[in-house]
Amino acid sequence: MEPNLVSPSQRRNFLMIMLGGVGSLLAVAAGWPLVRFLMPSDTGDAASQVAIDRTLVTPGTAHLFQFQGRPAVVLQTAPGEFVALSAVCTHLGCIVQWQEEESQFLCPCHAGRFSTDGSVISGPPPKPLEILPVTLDGDQVLVG
Amino acid sequence: MSPLKMLVDFLDVRLGVRDIFAKEVSGYLLPRRVNAWYTLGAVLLTLFGLQIFTGILLLVYYVPHADLAFASVQAIVNDVPFGWLIRMLHAVGANVIVIALLLHMLSVLFMAAYKGRREFTWLSGFVLFNLTMGLCLTGYLLPWSQLSFWATTVATDTPGAIPVVGDFLVEFLRGGATVGNQTLGRFFALHVVGMPLILLGLIGFHLFCVKRRGISTPPFGEDYLADELLPFFEHEEHPAGIPFFPNYVVKDAAVICFFLAFLLAIIFYLPGLFFPPSAFEPADPFVTPPGIKPEWYFLWAYQTLKIFPSEIIGLGVQGAFMTFLALLPFIDRGRERRPAKRPVFVTCYVLGILLFVAISIWGHYS
Repeated sequence: MEPNLVSPSQRRNFLMIMLGGVGSLLAVAAGWPLVRFLMPSDTGDAASQVAIDRTLVTPGTAHLFQFQGRPAVVLQTAPGEFVALSAVCTHLGCIVQWQEEESQFLCPCHAGRFSTDGSVISGPPPKPLEILPVTLDGDQVLVG
Repeated sequence: MSPLKMLVDFLDVRLGVRDIFAKEVSGYLLPRRVNAWYTLGAVLLTLFGLQIFTGILLLVYYVPHADLAFASVQAIVNDVPFGWLIRMLHAVGANVIVIALLLHMLSVLFMAAYKGRREFTWLSGFVLFNLTMGLCLTGYLLPWSQLSFWATTVATDTPGAIPVVGDFLVEFLRGGATVGNQTLGRFFALHVVGMPLILLGLIGFHLFCVKRRGISTPPFGEDYLADELLPFFEHEEHPAGIPFFPNYVVKDAAVICFFLAFLLAIIFYLPGLFFPPSAFEPADPFVTPPGIKPEWYFLWAYQTLKIFPSEIIGLGVQGAFMTFLALLPFIDRGRERRPAKRPVFVTCYVLGILLFVAISIWGHYS
């Protein structure tokens, strides 16, 4: 009879590795549906272009809307001249508000101020508001 | 030194985990003849854990409003990746829990494990069983389908047979004269927070009772000796028994895997088993679909109410039976636990199971 070449500790280690391997595979098999279940879904608001009725944006006023799932703002700086910006403050993500008397944007969280072209006037924001492309199509203002 | 050993050393010098493991896990001895029926408690713990986990996941997308609930469940099943799996695990899992609970209670009854000053263990288990039924009932309404709506209408109408307070009870349960958004709100609160909190507390108490009194010895084999009841508290020890870990844990794990496989087999191969066509139509308070029946575990109660000439007699019989079952350890005081030595009990036990099955089938086809 041949001597047993595998010691009990080797056998135990082998079984532990096998158990760990099978357990890991099962964990991945159970974890994958969980990750997919919780993954953000496409809500349909990620359209590359948004059309806004021109009458909603009169000269000197701003209009807030959703652009690719985030708040954005379009304003008519002068008759026939439109600017669209991200409305998310670059400091901590609050939504900027249009100050018509001062013709600038104010972030109500920490008093960051932005000009109509998105550049920082004062306050803690580290960079300007993102500028979004704007075109005109008849009575529609197309953003994106 | 392996990372695992380092972690255990770190915990051990702070919390004495090796001492706890030696005393409560590897050194905790169970009766040598312990059988697969003893694992149903661990199976139920696993299944309840799965219900809580899948329930939390469903809450991510479910909307508890009469106008939106059905659409939100449809979206979970049809639009959310693997939403069908999470929903099926929750809905079918509830049925498997009832099966495991019934088997657990039947095995405790057959082996008379409620004896030997284990009245609190039995009573807490009995309340847990009823609470689970309550969870099933409240959860059944949430998908807001025709089946949910009308099954809940019938179920909440039952207390109306109670004299004097019946109408008040029905309205109180529903939050209004009929099942509606207000019913959905209160059933949702009960199903998601109220009942699970009580359930967790009761499970803790049940486990405390089991651990404190000690596992009962299976009443089989020639060497079985009836419990000797001393006039003071005594933890039932099993000095010649098997260790909880690894022997018993392996047995637990095997039966848990069996039940999980059973659950997945239903989901993959018989997905429509617990979902009649009316489960796929949105609730319509003005159209009652024909042949609405409660879930299989309520069929016996449903049919009992129909057998008796008046609903109040039916309710009285059900109440008397459930009270008898709850108080069984206080009524059945004999020390004998071996089934072969308890012919009257075993006869009633078998006839009771047959009666339950027969009335349920009758209820299904009536």
